[in-house]
Amino acid sequence: MSEASKTSNARVKTGIPEFDAMLRGGFMKGDAVMLAGSAGTGKTTLALQYLINGITTAGEGGIYLTFEQHPDQIYRDAKSFGWDLQKMEAEDKLRIVFTSPDLLMGEGDPEALLEEPIGAVNARRIVVDSLSHLSMFAKNDDIRQETYRVVNFFKLKGMSTLLIWESPQVLGQSFSISDVGLSFLVDAIVSLKFVEIDSSIRRAMVVLKMRGSDHDKSLREYEITQTGIKVRAPFKDYQGLMTGSPTRSSSERFVDLMTKAAKEK
Amino acid sequence: MVDEPNSIRPSDPLGALLSSSNKADLLVLFHRNPGLIDTVEGIARRLGKKGSVIASDVSELAGASILQRKVVGKSEVYFLNREKDRESQKDIAEYITNLGGKR
Repeated sequence: MSEASKTSNARVKTGIPEFDAMLRGGFMKGDAVMLAGSAGTGKTTLALQYLINGITTAGEGGIYLTFEQHPDQIYRDAKSFGWDLQKMEAEDKLRIVFTSPDLLMGEGDPEALLEEPIGAVNARRIVVDSLSHLSMFAKNDDIRQETYRVVNFFKLKGMSTLLIWESPQVLGQSFSISDVGLSFLVDAIVSLKFVEIDSSIRRAMVVLKMRGSDHDKSLREYEITQTGIKVRAPFKDYQGLMTGSPTRSSSERFVDLMTKAAKEK
Repeated sequence: MVDEPNSIRPSDPLGALLSSSNKADLLVLFHRNPGLIDTVEGIARRLGKKGSVIASDVSELAGASILQRKVVGKSEVYFLNREKDRESQKDIAEYITNLGGKR
């Protein structure tokens, strides 16, 4: 029996209190979670916060698996939030693994590749940056099977997995996981997106799917602050937020009209 | 698998390590990104070079135990030997200190 199945009701907190509340306590332990969003939505920041929280509050070692972004850039960006990843690596709490997708997919071997870092930090959380990059290295017919194999390897090792998915579109209906047929592989999906409101760009997050658990269904505003992601209140009085170009609801438009009329009097 | 040390000796650690610009580039890459584990081609890609250009330098660094190699699937990959790397840094620091003392 895997570690994950032994603790099927346990939660893995992200360290972002309002986000954990949206997840009714955190992700389910051992689950594979897809974190989807376009460039600049804060996927890497959220993923690092998730790993760091595991290390600092739950004593869970973490691995950040990156294919494209050089770790020295990740160290630098993390420092701007006050996170010293190199110190965590020196203390054998974290490993940033920088490798090529083909060593995991196809004729690669995840066990041989990750055996040392998993053991060195006793990894319980892993971030894959990114699933979209990983899937590019599988032949079209094999994408599902290959991704399934890699995700199952992480589960078998008792790790809770966060898979980053790079959405191509910045605004609009950018969430197209179903197009590539990978959504069935994951237990939960969180979407980060930009929305245009009153001529300014704001960020919104939503939990689209969470197997075996209730979750918040509302779109919540969030900000990237100096200390990481902060989730704010749900967007109210707007419709069509998922399209990226919301409109005000009729009740809000009515209030606006009345306010305007009162000012003109 | 760790290879036995060869030509990179503590008596002249800097000269041996920096005997080619490719070796210097490789050392900088692995120091900045100590979690790098990849094939020669993959490592070369991170440097904007071709595998054939750096293959012999990678092999020499592995021969000196600064890099380690192992087989992943059907590929041979290289990664930093963190312990040996710490020793090398110490050797270099001592070497530089001694150079200063001789002036």
